[in-house]
Amino acid sequence: MSNDIKTQVVVLGAGPGGYSAAFRAADLGLDVVLVESRATLGGVCLNVGCIPSKALLHVAKVIDDAAAMASHGVTFGKPEIDLDKIRGWKEDVIGQLTGGLGGMSKARKVKTVTGVGSFTSDKTIEVEGADGKTTITFDNAIIACGSSVIDLPFIPNDDPRVIDSTGALALEDVPGEMLVLGGGIIGLEMGTVYSALGSNVSVVEFADQLVPAADKDIVKVYNNYNKKKFNIMLSTKVVAVEAKDDGLYVTFEGKKAPAEQVRYDKILVAVGRKPNGHLVAADKAGVNVDERGFINVSKEMRTNVPHIFAIGDVVGQPMLAHKAVHEAHCAAEVISGKKHEFDPRCIPSIAYTDPEMAWVGVTEREAKEQGLNIEVANFPWAASGRAIASARTEGKTKMIFDKETGRVLGGAIVGINAGEMLGEVCLAIEMGADAEDVGLTIHAHPTLNESIGLAAEIFEGSITDLPNAKAVKKKK
Amino acid sequence: MSIEKVLVPDVGGDEVEVIEICFAAGDSLEADEGILTVETDKASMDIPAPFAGKLVSLAVSVGDKIKEGDIIAEMESAEMESAAAAPAEAAPAAPVAEAPAAPAPAPVVEAAPVAAPAATASEIIDIAVPDIGEDGEVDCIEVLVNVGDVIEEEDGLITLETDKATMDVPSTHAGTVKEVFVNTGDKVKEGSLVIKLETAGSAAPAVEAPAAPVAAPAPAPAATVTPTTAPKAAPVPHHPQAGNVNKGTIYASPAIRRLAREFGVDLTLVKGTGRKARILKEDVQSYVKYELSRPKANAGSNVSGNSGGLQVVASKPIDFSKFGEIEEKPLSRIQKISGPFLHKNWVTIPHVTQFDEADITNVEAFRKEQNVVCEKQKLGFKITPLVFILKAAADALRAFPTFNSSLSEDGESLILKKYIHIGVAVDTPNGLVVPVVRDVDQKGIHQLSRELLEISIKAREGKLKAADMQGGCFTISSLGGIGGTAFTPIVNAPEVAILGVSKSEMKPKWNGKEFEPKLMLPLSMSYDHRVIDGALAARFTVHLAGVMSDIRKLVL
Repeated sequence: MSNDIKTQVVVLGAGPGGYSAAFRAADLGLDVVLVESRATLGGVCLNVGCIPSKALLHVAKVIDDAAAMASHGVTFGKPEIDLDKIRGWKEDVIGQLTGGLGGMSKARKVKTVTGVGSFTSDKTIEVEGADGKTTITFDNAIIACGSSVIDLPFIPNDDPRVIDSTGALALEDVPGEMLVLGGGIIGLEMGTVYSALGSNVSVVEFADQLVPAADKDIVKVYNNYNKKKFNIMLSTKVVAVEAKDDGLYVTFEGKKAPAEQVRYDKILVAVGRKPNGHLVAADKAGVNVDERGFINVSKEMRTNVPHIFAIGDVVGQPMLAHKAVHEAHCAAEVISGKKHEFDPRCIPSIAYTDPEMAWVGVTEREAKEQGLNIEVANFPWAASGRAIASARTEGKTKMIFDKETGRVLGGAIVGINAGEMLGEVCLAIEMGADAEDVGLTIHAHPTLNESIGLAAEIFEGSITDLPNAKAVKKKK
Repeated sequence: MSIEKVLVPDVGGDEVEVIEICFAAGDSLEADEGILTVETDKASMDIPAPFAGKLVSLAVSVGDKIKEGDIIAEMESAEMESAAAAPAEAAPAAPVAEAPAAPAPAPVVEAAPVAAPAATASEIIDIAVPDIGEDGEVDCIEVLVNVGDVIEEEDGLITLETDKATMDVPSTHAGTVKEVFVNTGDKVKEGSLVIKLETAGSAAPAVEAPAAPVAAPAPAPAATVTPTTAPKAAPVPHHPQAGNVNKGTIYASPAIRRLAREFGVDLTLVKGTGRKARILKEDVQSYVKYELSRPKANAGSNVSGNSGGLQVVASKPIDFSKFGEIEEKPLSRIQKISGPFLHKNWVTIPHVTQFDEADITNVEAFRKEQNVVCEKQKLGFKITPLVFILKAAADALRAFPTFNSSLSEDGESLILKKYIHIGVAVDTPNGLVVPVVRDVDQKGIHQLSRELLEISIKAREGKLKAADMQGGCFTISSLGGIGGTAFTPIVNAPEVAILGVSKSEMKPKWNGKEFEPKLMLPLSMSYDHRVIDGALAARFTVHLAGVMSDIRKLVL
């Protein structure tokens, strides 16, 4: 069966970027077709990424919190883990969200074509679906084909005991010994889940710190807290993996490399994602894709072909859903004739680990590299009533200000709920707020969030919850 | 066969970006074909091939920033080949003849030519640009000689154009042009090498124009960029609120930045009225409102940035041919140059014109008597009424020093001059020029008459130097020889007043008892009201008229 569709806008990929672009375009009165290879909308994020991982992290948190209560007078029994039920709950979460998207898509009269789409010209996309081919002739296209995990060549990827983030989220079993290859956000999040479920988790990272994008002092707090939970091997790499019947034998090299081969029941490969630019035959439309698979776009999200746009992971780092969504809106709005551009001052990053690490704007290291004149204000959570009451005082809130103007340039938070707190810092940066603005904003007490206001007070020299280094010296 | 490097010519700016490359290595180009296109902040322009030939390699790519003197490509010259062959035959006969092999694409081709071997003849001299009375560089608008031309001493070599006039650079010697270093459109200054000349006395068996294959000097690449080298086109005047803010530190929220983008507002130009100068929605709105209420910028006008934002609504184009036959004639160079200055003076100086009459019955009688004497003594000049007006004006300027002044740049003070140099507007076939007569107060009638005669001849022949037109304190524009009763001259800034003189006329004047016939000279003096009050202006013209009616007052 062959099917021909004509549309004003076709969106290739229905991840957070793709569906946002489709919905926004539809809401702006455009005729939209959404092409998606998965049966459900939502892409990696909803189906095998952000959302299911958060469901499992919630499980992990409750397990860890319950265990932690033992020292505060509440002792629970050893948790009974019913993996099928957990998995079922996770699937429910996914189903609820993707189902919601399906409904919203129908309500907006966005036509969804299921199948793998690729360009056949700069005006047509062909979709290879289960029920035949569909040719879509479009006026404008938005490429939102995302990214996929990077496989390592020296690893027996066909072995079922070697998994990627999707495999980890599938939650087939709880391995006794698990190696997480890659100390980035995804690796640490999944390591947190499996550790809570009972695995012994080792993390190997080639760089000299976990989550290399974040500032060292933030990650150090994380490391200290997780010293006992994970075996962390920094500046170390895996050079060989030998699959044997009783496990995967891994040879390491580097600073923390064990001398001997180490046996693991499972290896999670989480070394990063690569853009899918080469998977949509963009060249047939004349769209330039670089050798790594990225598609270059203008601030309007246009590719080199003016009526073809690209958004999300495929246009560059950071590969984050919230970045894709904003790019998506921009592309749809530009197509509808609005004079918009994607010009954020900052894009937040969050590792939903325990404790969480969240940062936005410039990091201290970037500020130094850029030669910015900054002043850093650190508020240690040991001075936060709420953190003490929650028995989680390891955290800290760091604000980075322009030394001259007091303008908020960046912020980083490590601690429980750090991710939820970061929004205020994002807003401060976008609004051009300075330390005085933040410090004079009344933050509710007692909250973890007030640590942001207090960090601003440190900069301002008006802090009273800590010794004040800027206090006026008394005359004798 | 030689490979020449093609360099970036004067592109009228520091750095320009390559936006397009028009040929690839291996392509054959004609002279003047654009090798690549660059973009400056004002215009885009092609950089042409300096000569015909084959593009051997390109040294730049799209997006590169290049500046004058950078190598952009290597070319194998088609002409070079033939030229290289030619001297081989010519050489024995004419040892000096290699020189012309140079097609003199001077500024573009590195080390183009020759030079060295040509220097064999000791009689070859360099001729450079003399003092032209300009501090900076001036445009060469025409090259008057070609390699091989036989020229006389004082023959013009190149024509230069300054803000005020055009002038020829004369040859200091007679001889044969061996090499030309300047192209039309080049900028030169005092000391710039113009030509190499083999002086006439030399015995060298100069082969006439062995340069045969080399027609005219390769048209200068700069010629194509005239728009940018022209007097710096001032940008549309800044918004009065304009701040000097770095884009990254603009204090505006995302919503305001989006609003600004929709209206094409440059937020660095918007003054924020919010707390700590935060830009609010209202600020963007009022900026847009203000911009819309401003008269449209006068496209292409040379109004300078400090003109106070005075702009006029652009007039709609009219197709005059609908109404009858028309002919389009370009403005003369002088008109093109002086137009913007006249416009600026007209709109920026608050003009008032004071009218008066001077009784010149006696001075005219005296002048005629003296002219008879002049003729008898064969002095070679005639005394014109203008000389007396010059003297009277000098006397009035001394009596009223405010008239001999200029406003300081900040408008805070007055600069009074202790010298009296007076400009005299001279009508020439090319347009109006204003040579300056120096130290009028210290010169006698005869000397002034002689000088006036000289400068008006120079002016009509287009030989005035820039220095001849600088330093004026006051200007006299006399239309008396033509007619008219009065007119309103435009002050010649930075001067503060100008005297217009119309045709004198015999009028009946009441002397208390009866009407007497008196020869009356109409005076129209425009002045800058920021500097001069009406009463002072009236006193000045009364004084001037008084001196004219009785020139004995000059010696008082």
